[in-house]
Amino acid sequence: MKFLIAIGSKEYSGPTLKLGMRVARAFGADVTIAYVGEKISSFSTSEVLMAQENLDNWEVNRRGVDVLEWAYKILKDQKYIEVEKLDEGIGENSLVQTDDDRCEVFLKGTQSDEVKLILRNGEIISQLRGEVSRSEIDITIIGGSQKRRMAHNLIQYIDSSIFVVNKYDLNQKYKILIAVDDSPNTRKAVKYGTRVSQAFNVPVEMITVSKKDQFGDGYTSAANWAKKFLRRSNILFGHQFLVGDPVQVIYEVAGDNHIIVMGSSTQNPLLKFFKGSKPLNVMETCKCPILIVK
Amino acid sequence: MPLLSNKVITEVLYWVTRKKWLILAFALSIILFYVPSPEGLTPEGHRTLIIAVTALILIVGEVISLPAVGILILVMEVLLGLDTSDGVASSFMNDAVFFIMGSLMLAVAFVKQGWDSRIALGIIRLTGNKTRNIVFGFTAISALLSSFIGEHTVAALMLPLAMTLIRNTSKDHERVRELAAVLLFSIAYGSLIGSIGTPSGGGRNAILITYLQLFDVSISYIGWMKMVYPLVLLQIPILTILILTSFKPEYKQLDTGVRKLVVEVAKSGEMTGRATLAILIFLLVFAGWVFLSESLGLGTIALMGVFLYLVTGLVRWEDINRNTHWGVIILFGSTISLGSYIKSTGAALWLANHLISITGSEMDAFPIFTDAIIVVLTASLANILSSSATVAVLSPITLNMAADPLHVGMVTAIASSFGYFTAVAAPACTIVYSSGMIRAKDFLRAGWKVGLASTALLLIYANTYWLIFK
Repeated sequence: MKFLIAIGSKEYSGPTLKLGMRVARAFGADVTIAYVGEKISSFSTSEVLMAQENLDNWEVNRRGVDVLEWAYKILKDQKYIEVEKLDEGIGENSLVQTDDDRCEVFLKGTQSDEVKLILRNGEIISQLRGEVSRSEIDITIIGGSQKRRMAHNLIQYIDSSIFVVNKYDLNQKYKILIAVDDSPNTRKAVKYGTRVSQAFNVPVEMITVSKKDQFGDGYTSAANWAKKFLRRSNILFGHQFLVGDPVQVIYEVAGDNHIIVMGSSTQNPLLKFFKGSKPLNVMETCKCPILIVK
Repeated sequence: MPLLSNKVITEVLYWVTRKKWLILAFALSIILFYVPSPEGLTPEGHRTLIIAVTALILIVGEVISLPAVGILILVMEVLLGLDTSDGVASSFMNDAVFFIMGSLMLAVAFVKQGWDSRIALGIIRLTGNKTRNIVFGFTAISALLSSFIGEHTVAALMLPLAMTLIRNTSKDHERVRELAAVLLFSIAYGSLIGSIGTPSGGGRNAILITYLQLFDVSISYIGWMKMVYPLVLLQIPILTILILTSFKPEYKQLDTGVRKLVVEVAKSGEMTGRATLAILIFLLVFAGWVFLSESLGLGTIALMGVFLYLVTGLVRWEDINRNTHWGVIILFGSTISLGSYIKSTGAALWLANHLISITGSEMDAFPIFTDAIIVVLTASLANILSSSATVAVLSPITLNMAADPLHVGMVTAIASSFGYFTAVAAPACTIVYSSGMIRAKDFLRAGWKVGLASTALLLIYANTYWLIFK
């Protein structure tokens, strides 16, 4: 599997990077860590390129390299990478320019074949979409965003599962909460949730929520399949059928000490665009990380 | 089986989300096309303004590339019947475009000569180690240099000096945030205030000279300097004070930073024959601008300089090709072409009359009102477009707003350099912002003070000092 972890700054991206790497380790996944710098005004792209080349002559790092250096240090300290060759840090000279707006450095992972650090410039959704497509990413990991439209666009337009590291406290013990329903992505969500649970060695809570008192066949068979899967995986779990507004119920059950795992919505994209979707509303409402599986 | 899969709908939605400004621009242009021409505006003028509005939305929205906008302008000029293809082609290329092309290429040649280390030594020798003196030195040198070689060149040359000083003072960004701000803004704003000093300071100046010729007004290189250079010199100390009052640098002295900078500069060694030749060629170009620009044109002289740098091997074509934004040249050529049709179709006069009618008789009684309107209009547009595009589109209008085209033209050109408020307003601002050492909101923190001061100074200056030229 391949993971993409998007980082923005040293100040705010620590939890995203650390949790992202733990989850990636659970999956034995190759990891790409991306810093996306702000889009440069089209009027000045050449001038900025010229200035950056001049900075290179003076051995001054360009924007974003310091963030990659910081990420590199965390990877090194937590032994996610082998560091014989690049013990002194990545430095600008290790970065290979692959496109006008993208450069990368390859590292050897301890748990997977490769860990890549990349530097991109431009509009964030477009850049992350480009990276997901280029590297055939399975899960994109991002920090929580205060901007509703940004979060909406990330979930709607990025063609991979999305893990939003929302209000994650590194010192807190989290449990896994899987929302099980009749949507096509539920099974995949259960599988992903199981892997995360194994990695963190924590129990799983499953809930199946219906707005009506009765639960249809789709709901019950999905729940039965999930229970069977978790039993076979030797995971300690519990399951409840709950009635109410799904977003509100998930919010109440999750509190601030769960990692929520749920399948992405399969409703018409036009409806999602105007009305939003259940995962998006859960993400906005809840105070904990959420993995939306596509 | 649905007609369109969710994936296809998602892709379409993504395209629409990204291109909403493009859709808006085309929708608006179609609506405006079918709206009857307002009274006093010719049908050709009406269609010219449709192109201007469409282009403005596309440039501000940045939904398609700049050369694509430029090409669209040219195509629309022909399709909407403003002129024949040959006519549009001839309006596209002139001395101002030559100058913009030449100055962008010269910028690459200058930056490749390693003059930055000499400049660093010069500044340090003049200012010593005190932060406020260094800020003054950076502001003054940026302003003086940019008045001759353009703001983007100076910003690219000076950025490494500031970054080296900052990095050598402290590796911890948080401990030098304010120091970084004063040094980087002294480069960006210094370059901006200097870029109006001579005709070669920026593409907008060359564009204005081209437009003035349409009004039978000519101005020499020295004539321009006489009118504007005192303003540049006046602004240098004021700008230094405003920057130092906007940010409080963490270090009063930069002993360590300066010492290490001097050591790094020393590595570049003595002046070589190549460096001397590079300076000689620049002096030749400068002399050409001063003495021959009225007969040969600023652009041709700039291109001659590029030719000399190329044949002497001081710069490689590959470097020029990589670092020159050809798309911007296409766009500026197109906006100049559009500007010429805004004038020739009467749209400029119509717009100018409407602007004048806003203030009515007060404008005649107090000409400073006209200047104030021009400054606000130009500076606002320059902060979201670019200074050259602003002058290309606005000058034909502002030149009609008063009896003295030279006066209002110069006010327009100078006000277009007030790109203090955003990181995208001018290449110099974008270059220092790209360092990652300053935040977008820092531009407002310092920019409003500098913008107010520059506006007040320009209004007083233009209505007092320029009286001696009348």
